Amino acid sequence: MTVAPVSPAPQNAAPATMAATGPPLTLPPGPPSDERTPRRRTVPGRVRTLTGVAVVAVALLFGATALAIGNVRDGLQVIGHDAGPQVVATADLYFALSDMDAQIANVLLIGRETSLGKGRQQALTRYDQRRAEASRAVLQAAELTIGDPTEQRTVRSVLDGLGRYERLASQALLLDEQARHPAGPPPQRVIDIYRQATDLMRLDLLPKAYNLTLDSGTIVRETYEEERAAVLTGRILVAVAGLGTLAVLIALQIFLARRFRRVTNPALLLATLATAGLTLAGWLLLSQEADDLRMAKENGFNSVLSLSRARAIGNTMHGDQSRYLLDPGRADTYEQVYLDKSQSVLYTPGGNLDKYYVGVDNAVSAFPDKSDFLGFHGIEANNITLPAQSEAVADVLKGYQRFQQDDRRMRQLALAGQSRQAIAHRMGPLSDSFESYDKSLVGLTGLHGQAFDRAIENGDGSLGGWNLILPGASLLIALLIAAGVWPRLSEYR
Amino acid sequence: MRVRLAAISALVLVSAGCGLSSGQPESVADKETLVIGVKQDQPGLGLRKGSKYEGFDVDVAAYVAGKLGVQNVRYVTAPSAKRESMLQAGTVDLIFASYSVTPERKTKVDFAGPYYVAHQDTLIRSSDTTIHNVRDLRGKKLCEVAGSNSWRRVKEERKVAVNLVAGASYSDCIDQLREKTVDAVSTDDLILAGFAGQDDSIKIINAPFTDERYGVGVKKGDVAGCEAVNKAITEMYQDGTAEKLLKKWFGPTGLKVTLSVPQFEGCG
Repeated sequence: MTVAPVSPAPQNAAPATMAATGPPLTLPPGPPSDERTPRRRTVPGRVRTLTGVAVVAVALLFGATALAIGNVRDGLQVIGHDAGPQVVATADLYFALSDMDAQIANVLLIGRETSLGKGRQQALTRYDQRRAEASRAVLQAAELTIGDPTEQRTVRSVLDGLGRYERLASQALLLDEQARHPAGPPPQRVIDIYRQATDLMRLDLLPKAYNLTLDSGTIVRETYEEERAAVLTGRILVAVAGLGTLAVLIALQIFLARRFRRVTNPALLLATLATAGLTLAGWLLLSQEADDLRMAKENGFNSVLSLSRARAIGNTMHGDQSRYLLDPGRADTYEQVYLDKSQSVLYTPGGNLDKYYVGVDNAVSAFPDKSDFLGFHGIEANNITLPAQSEAVADVLKGYQRFQQDDRRMRQLALAGQSRQAIAHRMGPLSDSFESYDKSLVGLTGLHGQAFDRAIENGDGSLGGWNLILPGASLLIALLIAAGVWPRLSEYR
Repeated sequence: MRVRLAAISALVLVSAGCGLSSGQPESVADKETLVIGVKQDQPGLGLRKGSKYEGFDVDVAAYVAGKLGVQNVRYVTAPSAKRESMLQAGTVDLIFASYSVTPERKTKVDFAGPYYVAHQDTLIRSSDTTIHNVRDLRGKKLCEVAGSNSWRRVKEERKVAVNLVAGASYSDCIDQLREKTVDAVSTDDLILAGFAGQDDSIKIINAPFTDERYGVGVKKGDVAGCEAVNKAITEMYQDGTAEKLLKKWFGPTGLKVTLSVPQFEGCG
């Protein structure tokens, strides 16, 4: 492409518009006098302008990178250090509350017997322990909800309800102790009080605790999406600012080479290389960080949250088994909610428990070749991303299957009128299979917890040093530009 | 140079814009007009009267839409069999239509809420003193409504030996109950309450034996919208509106309603 040259024609018009000289259009304002030396004024003026643009471009590169790194830090802070771990703490609240109610049911069911399961005293000790855990978790939840009045009201009403629950529970325990009944359903007046307690727990407190976990999960999701989008946008800004800086620096060098008949300007060349290096490093860092955030959120946090919910629901199922034996008047209801909860943990079609047991057997024996079941375990089984996860999932599924098989046995005994054997089964083998299922679930959750910690650690680790690298490199580039341009400018003094 | 700077800043703005609005479909949390699917033939829940709909579902929908900051709400009938496809196609934005949360449906749509957990219960004649819970239905005549699963829950899931008598619809079953050709009608308590509220000669026994979680159907993937609906439902229970609405629609029926917020399903 040929352009009609106005003044001394450049050999090639490209690569930068600045090389196409002409009447000075963009000179820094100066007195338009001294007509004898237009050229001398033009050249240093241009050099100064180009230098100024280059330095501004470096500043933009610095700003864009610093901003994106700030987003990374915020994201890592919220997901990795504040809300993320606290969300898991609220999931523990549900677990603790649910186990409190299950332990009360156990104590009432055992009555004055001493030979059943781990016994009355241990159930009471565990109740106290869960009570303490629940208090701690409520405090943590309260901390997390600062700034959200809706959630704060929820926390407050959980706290109020917990007080009422304890009053009802101790009333039921006292009446039960006075009754000194054999293992099995206690007198109706005990059942009536316990119904109030368990309804308060299951219909009021547990739903609120569960919703709190979901609400706090929302905070993490929103932070994640915002910060990750900001980091990815920041990455583009860094690239644009970096490439812009490079273009200005190259233009500056071409201009200097032409005007001053020097092939290279070592300082500017170094500045160009340093800019290229900084841009590339910034791009790579931000890509890595976006990836770490995604790993932490998707392979860590999401799974930990979903498995904690599965564990909490599993615990209420175990409580429903005790309540089924404890309160014959409501046995149908407790059996039905047991089935509903089972299906939310691992779903296979089948409208009643008999069909469900068969469905679970089939689903578990087909894993890992096939995993066409839904529910929390279905989500997990269809999202294998970590080493050793498949084996851990298989453990959980086998544990769950055994737990359901023992549940079937307990209900068979109860239906056959062997209520003492049913209670013994509940407190013995069924309790053991629940605990081993629960343990395998905790193990699998731990696997995701480690993935989460690793991703956050990686993210924090890669940021290390950037506090110095970024300002240092930017300053160095600016100094190199100055060093490259200064001697040329001084030729005009 | 100015040209270059302008070009750079334009590029920056464009790329920033791209990063922020990366082709996500609009969430119900951001919409200004909402089309909401409701029932048209369920007294107390969603009933069409002329061009208007009324009932608990409709009032809850209006409250939630208000909390979402929506100016215009249009209600349409969402027939049971079409609820998933209507959400998927986008002909409705939300569904409040005694829409039970089930694992199969969750593969096709997302559920906010539930805004209420209904329970299957039993309606009998007020003069009947022999039926106190579902077990007492053994040997009794239970109305079987074509296309409804509720009788299965009694006969197949609970394995209670009932004698089934066919009924064309729940209103037909209620007539048969009065005429003593059936002894009991069993389905969601909120549906029964709609009928019981109109007539003193029949009553609900208040012996619930299932959980039917009435969720809000949301298009799959609209996590932000689903979470916003959940927040609105939480507030509906906190500010007393839920209690007011439950009393308004089911208070006179003698049904024991739950006044605390249900356990949500979780979004996405």
